Amino acid sequence: MEEPRIGVYVCWCGTNIAKMVDVEAVTKEVSTLPNVVLSKNYKYMCSDPGQDLIIKDIKSHNLNRVVVAACSPRIHELTFRNACEKAGINPYLFEMANIREQDSWVHTDRNEATKKAIDLVIAAIRRVRYHEPLQKRSVNVDPATLVIGGGISGMTAALEIANAGKKVYLVERAGHLGGQVARFDLTFPHLSSAQQMLRPMIQRVENHQMIAVHLNTELKEVSGYIGNFKAKLVFMGAEQPEITFGNIIAAVGLKPFDPSVIEEYGYGKFPDVITSLEFEDKLRAGKILTKYGKEPRNIAIIHCVGSRNKKYHEYCSRVCCMVALKFVHEIRAALPEANIFEIYADMRAYGKGHEEFYAMTTHKQIIFLMYDQQKRLPVISEAHRDDDCNMLIEMNELLSGIDIEVPVDMVILMVNMEAHDNVKEVVRTIGVSLCGNQFFIEKHPKLDPVATTTGGVFIVGTCQGPKDIPDSVAQAKAAAARILGTIAQGSVPVEVTTAMVNESLCCGCQTCISVCPYTAVSFDEAKKSSVVNEVLCKGCGTCGGCCPAGAITSKHFTDRQILSEIEGIMSMSY
Amino acid sequence: MNFRPTIVAFLCNWCAYTGADLAGTSRLHYAPNVRIIRIMCSGRIEPTFILKAFKEGADGVLVCGCHPGDCHYQEGNYKCLRRFRLLEKFVSQMGIEKERLKLEWISASEGKQFAELINEMTGTILQLGPGKVQRTLELEHLKTK
Repeated sequence: MEEPRIGVYVCWCGTNIAKMVDVEAVTKEVSTLPNVVLSKNYKYMCSDPGQDLIIKDIKSHNLNRVVVAACSPRIHELTFRNACEKAGINPYLFEMANIREQDSWVHTDRNEATKKAIDLVIAAIRRVRYHEPLQKRSVNVDPATLVIGGGISGMTAALEIANAGKKVYLVERAGHLGGQVARFDLTFPHLSSAQQMLRPMIQRVENHQMIAVHLNTELKEVSGYIGNFKAKLVFMGAEQPEITFGNIIAAVGLKPFDPSVIEEYGYGKFPDVITSLEFEDKLRAGKILTKYGKEPRNIAIIHCVGSRNKKYHEYCSRVCCMVALKFVHEIRAALPEANIFEIYADMRAYGKGHEEFYAMTTHKQIIFLMYDQQKRLPVISEAHRDDDCNMLIEMNELLSGIDIEVPVDMVILMVNMEAHDNVKEVVRTIGVSLCGNQFFIEKHPKLDPVATTTGGVFIVGTCQGPKDIPDSVAQAKAAAARILGTIAQGSVPVEVTTAMVNESLCCGCQTCISVCPYTAVSFDEAKKSSVVNEVLCKGCGTCGGCCPAGAITSKHFTDRQILSEIEGIMSMSY
Repeated sequence: MNFRPTIVAFLCNWCAYTGADLAGTSRLHYAPNVRIIRIMCSGRIEPTFILKAFKEGADGVLVCGCHPGDCHYQEGNYKCLRRFRLLEKFVSQMGIEKERLKLEWISASEGKQFAELINEMTGTILQLGPGKVQRTLELEHLKTK
């Protein structure tokens, strides 16, 4: 092995790191360590000048190893690997120390944070000495795509890909396409018909030569990896022939919150307390009538049902305020004389044309009443026989501070959007993660909001988080573009940090074979040694963890590398 | 001298490491005693890594993986768990208090739980005092002088 020549770079990240970590001290402390040729600090290592600094140094100082202490490797490891590659060294001869997310942002004592940064940088230096160049590998991409979910997001993505001449399998659990949008009457803020938009789209999907629509179909099992997936579909209980595809789009959508758990609203007890979706059904049917077939004279719309309340869901569902305002227009058109009460917690009109829509709606002779979402929810009760209405809403009107009673004949609950109950099954089938609210986690919240940490698996629409139709469509098209990109390339880079066997050390116990979840390890009887199928291996390293002989290990996570990292971390503790 | 414990933590890339990053992006403050080593899966954890950390003077060792059923590699965390239970016995037979070695599941969304875990474990280690292995080494170190 050539003598390591390491360049160390400590990032300030503006003040994000420099405020809590003495970057100058870190730079100085590690500058004299064995094999460290130079150590520098810079305001933003990830910026072009920051990367150029590394590239220039590699060339002029003949560096063959690089350590950057900055943010999480989950954010910029690839950036710096690419910089190394640009300068002509193997991208795996690079290591990153996380001194932002796991240091400067979580500690308040500058001394301690600086000490910790020094430990982490030393660990990275010790580790990188044992890094070995790894060769990039790529696999061919099957040009077909699996889209899970036939709502507006799934259909948009499917059409986008199919229109480029590539095959799409569109799998939908229900017996029809359209998802939640199929229940909507008008859309906000332009009050255009959802069905007029949706129906031609469904027809295009159903008649498209390149789209195979599988209704009433469940996804049983997905195996494989980016570019080369396989799946079993189950149609009404019967297993279908296996399909193969290169990419997956999860567009499984959401479900409306069940408000019966909120006692105050009496949903399920009062027949004229209905959810926003049940009201959409009435609108589509063209009749706004109470349970007993009468036109309601007083209608209340309660916002934030199940949203923005720690007891139910803390997050905002984003679309319900505008849907509630849309209802005002539809009610006003059908029942010009009705009294309409918008009982809201905060009015959120963040999108394009939304604030204007809000302003326009306020001229529709409606009464806005504010309630305190955190302290006291409005309470719905049955009206007395001599009251001129069905129900009464008792509430404290927040702006005036007065306790009031609102007479109502119909109450519409603007229910929250929540994740499907079966979302965990989907997670297991396609290998993605969930956030605390049970929505799928994107690869990067800002820079990669449609990909996931699993290669070839994309998330679009409301399964990633509550959103309106334009946002769902934009996300679906973005995912389609990403997939078409890999199809156009024909191949994609895959995991190179797979397991490897030192055949001379292998004792033939085959423990590695028994623990491998991907059947990537097999036994070569002639060699009397385990062998790894690199295409199947995903690099978890479980085989390495259990090998009694130390014969099998993961590339880039070898024993030597990890043990050196431990030594480095502890080297300043004595 | 004030005892400043060091905890070496092995975090799986997909859940626990991401959870620790989330603690950072959420600016949750926790004790500065933990030093994190990233591995792809808790299944990669070899007993050697943990023993090495103790030998190098760690006062505590923490292993965090995905919650059962949520492993990015299907079941690496179960493999880790099985091996861990054996290792716990071994470590306590070596005279290392069992509280110094901990296995916890942290999901990618559990930044808060991670911060609490580190504070709690730091508290436990502070009560226990410095790790024995380190002290033995220090004594030997003195003898050779």
